[in-house]
Amino acid sequence: RTMRRTTALLLRHGGGGIPQALADVLVCPLSKKPLRYCEASGSLVSDAVGMSFPIVDGIPCLLPKDGKLLEDHQRESGHETSSRDSSD
Amino acid sequence: MALRAAAARLASSSLRRRHGHLLPAAASASHTAFLHSHATSFGFKQVREDEKSKLVGNVFSSVASSYDVMNDLMSAGLHRLWKDRLVSGAQSITPYGDSLFLPDSSDFFSRLISKLNPFPGMKHLDVAGGTGDVAFRVVERIKSVSHRATQGTLTDMEEDTHIYVCDINPNMLEVGKKRAAEKGYNEEQCLSWVQGDAEALSFEDGSMDGYTIAFGIRNVTHIEKALSEAYRVLKKGGRFLCLELSHVDVPVFKDIYDIYSFSVIPAVGELVAGDRQSYQYLVESIRRFPKQEKFAQMIQEAGFEAVEYENLVGGVVAIHSGVKL
Repeated sequence: RTMRRTTALLLRHGGGGIPQALADVLVCPLSKKPLRYCEASGSLVSDAVGMSFPIVDGIPCLLPKDGKLLEDHQRESGHETSSRDSSD
Repeated sequence: MALRAAAARLASSSLRRRHGHLLPAAASASHTAFLHSHATSFGFKQVREDEKSKLVGNVFSSVASSYDVMNDLMSAGLHRLWKDRLVSGAQSITPYGDSLFLPDSSDFFSRLISKLNPFPGMKHLDVAGGTGDVAFRVVERIKSVSHRATQGTLTDMEEDTHIYVCDINPNMLEVGKKRAAEKGYNEEQCLSWVQGDAEALSFEDGSMDGYTIAFGIRNVTHIEKALSEAYRVLKKGGRFLCLELSHVDVPVFKDIYDIYSFSVIPAVGELVAGDRQSYQYLVESIRRFPKQEKFAQMIQEAGFEAVEYENLVGGVVAIHSGVKL
């Protein structure tokens, strides 16, 4: 259970991220592993498959075929999220 | 009497106009990877698997904006042509005899919701329901359930209630979001809209108390995948419910239904939505969908237990259900 809460923290950014109710259940459609919110691109990143999925008009677009391969700079895990974790 | 004459006229003309295209699959020449079969059905056409979802997408982007209008018109039309009595909460019926009981589409949804048994605090996933038909009804049902229990005060359980609407088509989701705003649901924050594929859901294993798919599963390319995904996301004890257009075997009624389907519906689609083809696809896809027993078997094969189905309106619509134990 602590694993899941950490995942939710990674997704929830007190302002920038996605609502808790989504953070609680959303996973990568391909790997079914947790997603990470990337503030810079406003997208949901799946480190497991190295892809990102956009959020358009507040709607996460999680079609497998619409995932974009990550750029190298996006691959760093936890970089954008660690500073804001405590605010939750 | 006039109805029989009209039906006869329609029958002869529909036989001339109706063309079933069964094009041979463009099989071995292509180097695209296929899954189980080389082709899948798109209405009565055979298309490559990778094409089907694109074609379906086009159909629904086209019909999205007039979807509700068409449904209302078709059920209103049905009421005027056929009905003696409104049945609320549709039951299995046989159309033998002089009168034909024909509930409208809202009754099908009511029946689906009552089988679902929504409860406050539940996490529910509605797939392929972008415009919100099922989702809104689930919300309303839960609100009325908890109202009676708590005399109107908002409980923690009620706040935990959450309905996730997943649809492959963004236009349908936009329509749903807008309707939710109009109904004031966005204040309550119990609805979430996600674009996703029924065959590859982006929800965690065992995260949902309920799963519904209404009038959506026949558009899925690999039905078995959608069913196994439904099984995966449901919690133990979670319920699967599918409302879908199905097969009519009742003599005479079956023929009338065929005439209505192949002659009237595409014509009305042309008139109202300016799109005969999409409604032609709709009608053909219904005929290609597995029959009730076969579909029930597929649901069982996905792991569900206590699988059963209920025919509404002689099989025009069926509700299949199962439980993950």
